[in-house]
Amino acid sequence: MNSKRMLILGLIFLTMTSVHAFALDLSGNVKAQGLRKQDNILVYLTKTPDLTTPPQEAFVLDQNNLTFLPHILVIPKGSTVSFPNNDKVDHNVFSLSRTKKFNFGSYKPGESQTVTFDKPGIVELRCDLHSEMISYILVMKNSFFALTDKKGNFILDVAGLEPGKYFLKTWHEKLKNSKMPIELPAAAGKKLTINLKRGAPGVLYK
Amino acid sequence: MKKAIFFPILVNFILVAAAFQLIMPTPSWSAQKKNTSVIRGVVASQYGMVSDARVRIAGSKDFTLTDINGRYTLETPLFSSRAIKITAGKDGWFNNSVNALPGNQNANIMLFPIPGKDNPNYRFISPAVCARCHNTLAKYWDKSKMAHTTSNVKVLNMFNGTDATGRVLSGPGYKIDNPDKDGNCVSCHAPSAAVTQGGARDIERALWSPKTEWDGISCDYCHKIRKVTKTSDTPSLFKSHLKRQTPLKGNSILVFGPYDDVVNTVMSASYSPGFDKGSFCAACHSQIKKSDNKESWNRKQVYTDAEWQSFDIGDDSVIPVQTTYQEWKTWQDGLPADDTNKGKRCQDCHMSWRKEMLPYDNYVIEGHARDMWGTKRDPQNIRPHHFDGGTQIQLKTALSMEIEGQINDNILDVNVFITNTNGGHWIPTGDPMRNVMLVLSATDSDGKALKKIKGEELPTWTGVGKIEEGNYAGLPGKMFSKVLKDKKGNINVPFWNAAEVAADTRIRPKTTVKLKYQFKIENLNDEPTAEAKLIYRPFMKSLAKVKKWENNDILITETAW
Ligand SMILES: [Cu+2]
Repeated sequence: MNSKRMLILGLIFLTMTSVHAFALDLSGNVKAQGLRKQDNILVYLTKTPDLTTPPQEAFVLDQNNLTFLPHILVIPKGSTVSFPNNDKVDHNVFSLSRTKKFNFGSYKPGESQTVTFDKPGIVELRCDLHSEMISYILVMKNSFFALTDKKGNFILDVAGLEPGKYFLKTWHEKLKNSKMPIELPAAAGKKLTINLKRGAPGVLYK
Repeated sequence: MKKAIFFPILVNFILVAAAFQLIMPTPSWSAQKKNTSVIRGVVASQYGMVSDARVRIAGSKDFTLTDINGRYTLETPLFSSRAIKITAGKDGWFNNSVNALPGNQNANIMLFPIPGKDNPNYRFISPAVCARCHNTLAKYWDKSKMAHTTSNVKVLNMFNGTDATGRVLSGPGYKIDNPDKDGNCVSCHAPSAAVTQGGARDIERALWSPKTEWDGISCDYCHKIRKVTKTSDTPSLFKSHLKRQTPLKGNSILVFGPYDDVVNTVMSASYSPGFDKGSFCAACHSQIKKSDNKESWNRKQVYTDAEWQSFDIGDDSVIPVQTTYQEWKTWQDGLPADDTNKGKRCQDCHMSWRKEMLPYDNYVIEGHARDMWGTKRDPQNIRPHHFDGGTQIQLKTALSMEIEGQINDNILDVNVFITNTNGGHWIPTGDPMRNVMLVLSATDSDGKALKKIKGEELPTWTGVGKIEEGNYAGLPGKMFSKVLKDKKGNINVPFWNAAEVAADTRIRPKTTVKLKYQFKIENLNDEPTAEAKLIYRPFMKSLAKVKKWENNDILITETAW
């Protein structure tokens, strides 16, 4: 029992804890019928506790080449989003969604505006001048959400959640919502598969 | 002859006098910034100095107005390797320009008045000619609803009383009810034929007339409109005043437009502020019918006093058929001065940029023509000619829908919120045959429909039969439309037979309609869902059936709870 052996044991212990921490992710793959790309599908947990401390991250929803970027912005409630106009023409960002109503009016390239989103729900973002410009801000009750990549893969960080029963749900503007019961920590570390169908998207929280 | 000799002398005199004036120092001289220079001059005409002319460096966003003595000062870069093109334009005059280097104190511009008379024998130029330089612009126009309005099968079916297969006496027809009249279709569907001497007043004849230069509302027609004014003797209550002339200088084409800085040898362009106003569209996007014998109808059951007064279409004997322009004006007039939507015009949405048109640089004029006469223009000052309306992309932006549900014991409450988010007029607008429908369903987890207890249903005329074939009669939902009624009490009659507006449930700009429904839940342990679809139907089912028009329903949006 020398110090060398202690060190090895210590290293094994450290590796084990980090493996354990890694398993605090929910990961899987979403297969969406009839979608060319499988990205930008929201995967989130419900029956989870609401966020109590205001989020720190700064979010940006850019306007360039007649497009809102990103197309889907997911934020925990209480977040502030800035809306810079980085295009060559004026834009008029507004929302008449019941989750958050606002209207900046037309503003010029180089200018910016900000909004704080305090209520969970879907905010459909429009530009009064360019009918193609549309994007969604999804305001979540907490930070237990993830977006899929181009292959439909997602990794959802569930660190800090109590063991128990939750629902894993999805949202996409062209797909029917899905809902799947999961149990933590059993579900963590397993590769989940979710199949989605085209159709009317639902509300985030029923 | 005498005048022709005198004219150049007068012009010379004016310009010399103007140059003399400029030698006098002006107070703005000292206000000039570092690293910039100025160009000064006067804008003059054969009648003297021209005040309030718009002067700018061609293509730039900012302009200056000439003072009472026709003088202007424009800030320019300190140095320029090439002469800068300075343009001037004013309502009623042809645009003109001068090339000058920074520091030039004598950059004078001569303006010539537009012709005083309209020539009804003028032959309109084919859009194919315009497309030689304005290729992309013309391509978008050709795909738009402005083009091919004369050969529109549905218009001809409604005029002749035929169906899509050409069979006669199939459903309503203007000519069936009015065999001795030509109707007014041509005024908007074949406007150049309608205004040409010896042209046609009957749309069927207009289509085949050798005097019709093109099928539809052509480039040259709209750009020959000098102004649009109110009148009482057209069905739209507006009149387009044309100035059709071949200008004095060579074979160039007289065009009116929103630019004061277009100056080239091919087009004799004249700045016309009307092109940037909503009223420019009023001559066609407005239509009334005067009732027989000035009988009044009960308009108070359909429109509020405020709406009716703002429409400004006459007394209660007038039946509003299409009020797109009036709906927009009513909305705009009702907005406070500081409202973010104040000042939005038809052109802002129906002539806006589309992603597929990018990059911004290549839209207006291209190729060889661009190198010769093109003006590099701020994209902000360009109005693409797609004229979208009633298309999926435009509808999806115009309307949005939200749904919420709540379970109380064995009752499912569903509220649907439909908002006219982006329409500057009521939705649907245009001809009353256009409909928007909410179709709502509530089901249990097995997909079985829940029984509706409370809430509106869709009327019979949304179609009786299979749901998959677009028949929605009796389903929970709501119809947003204007319904015309004749004297016998028939509804959804063509406008020429209308005696009143029976209902107008269309959605007003930026307003939300809340619809409440209740369904009965059979199994209390089940989780029900509700699904709402918002559908645009360009012509009502009953009409489409007799006319054998295919189903053109557009799903605007759908949402579920
Ligand atoms: Cu925009």
